[in-house]
Amino acid sequence: MLLLIIKKEILAALRNVRLQIAGIFLIALMLVAVLLGRQGQQLIHKEREKAQSAMYDIWVNQGMKHPHSAAHFGQFAFKPKPVLSFLDVGLDNYTGTSVFLEAHKQNEILFSAAQDSNAMIRFGEMTMALVLQILLPLLIIFLTFNIFSKEREEGTLKLIYAQGLSMRQLFMAKVWATYVMVLAIFIPVICIAYFLLDYQSVSMDPNIGLKFIGLTITYALYFLVFVLLSVLISAFAKKSSISLLSLLGLWIVACIILPKATANLADKAYPTPSQFEFRNTIREKVKNGIDGHNPRDERLNALKQKVLDQYEVSSVEELPVNWSGIAMQAGEEYTDKIYDREFTRVENIFKKQNRLSEWVGFINPYLAIRHLSMAFAGTDFDHHTAFARAAENYRRAFVKKMNKDMELNHTPGIAYGDYNVGKEMWSSIKPFAYQLPDLTSILSKQWRSVAALVTWLLGLFFIASIFSNSISKI
Amino acid sequence: MLRTINLTKKYGTHTALNNLNLSVQAGEIFCLLGANGAGKTTTINLFMNFIQATSGQVFINDLEVAQQAQATKKHLAYIPENLNLYGNLTGLENLQFFAGLGGEKPKKEVASQLLKSVGLQSEAINKRVKQYSKGMRQKVGIAIAKAKQADNLLLDEPTSGLDPQASNDFAQLLREMRENKVAILMATHDLFRAKETGTHIGIMKEGDLVHTLKSDEIKLNELEQLYLETMKTESHATANN
Repeated sequence: MLLLIIKKEILAALRNVRLQIAGIFLIALMLVAVLLGRQGQQLIHKEREKAQSAMYDIWVNQGMKHPHSAAHFGQFAFKPKPVLSFLDVGLDNYTGTSVFLEAHKQNEILFSAAQDSNAMIRFGEMTMALVLQILLPLLIIFLTFNIFSKEREEGTLKLIYAQGLSMRQLFMAKVWATYVMVLAIFIPVICIAYFLLDYQSVSMDPNIGLKFIGLTITYALYFLVFVLLSVLISAFAKKSSISLLSLLGLWIVACIILPKATANLADKAYPTPSQFEFRNTIREKVKNGIDGHNPRDERLNALKQKVLDQYEVSSVEELPVNWSGIAMQAGEEYTDKIYDREFTRVENIFKKQNRLSEWVGFINPYLAIRHLSMAFAGTDFDHHTAFARAAENYRRAFVKKMNKDMELNHTPGIAYGDYNVGKEMWSSIKPFAYQLPDLTSILSKQWRSVAALVTWLLGLFFIASIFSNSISKI
Repeated sequence: MLRTINLTKKYGTHTALNNLNLSVQAGEIFCLLGANGAGKTTTINLFMNFIQATSGQVFINDLEVAQQAQATKKHLAYIPENLNLYGNLTGLENLQFFAGLGGEKPKKEVASQLLKSVGLQSEAINKRVKQYSKGMRQKVGIAIAKAKQADNLLLDEPTSGLDPQASNDFAQLLREMRENKVAILMATHDLFRAKETGTHIGIMKEGDLVHTLKSDEIKLNELEQLYLETMKTESHATANN
């Protein structure tokens, strides 16, 4: 019986010219989004890989110089373009793409796509995610808004009921029929996307297959939520026009108004400091100490005394090691400590904002899918901070190596300009290589969104099982 | 067999059906006559369990509808007043679909034969229903009802909007079903068709079944007279109110 209804619904939809056009348009849109997205992802990834390699060559071939000068000469870290970012570009257009790594300073990640684009980017790039999250639900609305009300208006609902079918059976049959149609549009395109995965970049993106499956399942669940919700509204709406207006209203609230309102609310509830405030706080704390009672001069004098005592000498000139190297590394470590505290503080504010948005996923499934989609695609905030931390750790490691060399090998008495090292030293620093977080890490951070989506599904099935038998037949 | 005991349906203070006691045996066609709002469709809707009774009981083959709604459907076929069917499906596909829901989906050949047997032209069978006239849709409805082979049939204004030829064909089909021992309850405005097709006639007024007659015991002009007088009384009652 279920199959009979599914077959009938699909046949009727296939013979509906308006739905045919909408379906073909959506498939074409998804294919274009996938193909262009994939092309763009590969291009950007190759460009960044090339740039990373070129910058490393420049580092290795910088010639003979003092290690501290090399630490200031610095290196660049380029954010790799995640393999699945062609499906969901997420925050990638707004977060930077590369960071200059040098001694003493934690630079910002610069050069976001949004900086180089016109205002249209604010409306979102045409990606598979945009089509799946916003436009496909619209198709679901057009497929379902009169799925019950039209039957009621045309008297076929009475006839179906007269054949001995319960309203609950009919409700579920219509849900699965619509869902099959949605999957018939979604699955072929997502399969094409799978075959287009950039396997050359997979090494930096672990569990890519599982992430892709996770992304696919998540979207499939999201569509089921929308189908259930739409069929429920159609089932209880007195007229098709009321059903359509209610569903479109819900779509506008869920996909446009609520996400903006949530972002504004999160910003008001957890305000973030400006870039200037952030930098200024670090500068002040480096100068005056973390608690304001331990200024730089005092810290340096205390360290000097400790080193002199350790080597049992009375002046830095008598030290067997380079005092400047020790002082610089100590300065680095102190700055790192302050930076870590401040970075974590700001990161926590952003996390709180994101958490708030994730909790709103229990009210709005669109937000749940948005968070999950970006997370699986590797383009969310957590992935950005993971890259920022990886780049900062790399900076610390190479600056430390320069300082250590200076401490041990630039013996006192030799002028700064007379101590130089070369290619062997530069090559000992391995090129920057970054791996995206794995699936476990993603799921552990995104449990709220997963729970929100599952709650929506269970809740809607529960409501349907209780109320579907009371759907009016007349 | 179709039966009601003290069946009442109220909408707030308005009584749509008042204490209806009705029985339609196998091989009988009971035609319910009455003005709009007399309670004819309410009676059909209660048999179909589309609405719940305020009090009283409805039985189909001794199964109480309120208790065993789904089970009663096995014994019941139904043709609504405005049968639009699915416009994007052909007559054949509509029949196969509805008959499939009611039991076993008939094969193409069987379904085609059934449609022809109710008078649908061969060339129309594979046309989409949106191109059908009301009479043609009604014929598909009858085919759906026949395919179910139920022993009870409910009809809500089945001949409204049909041309005389289609209406006559329809009456002939009902007579055939009556011969096959189907109990038929038909709500209609058509006095002529009720007299000509029905075995029993009931006249309803403001929720009450005022008269019950055997159609072979009354002439058409007498039925018309009785009907008009009943309606007049109704008018007077309304006027007095």
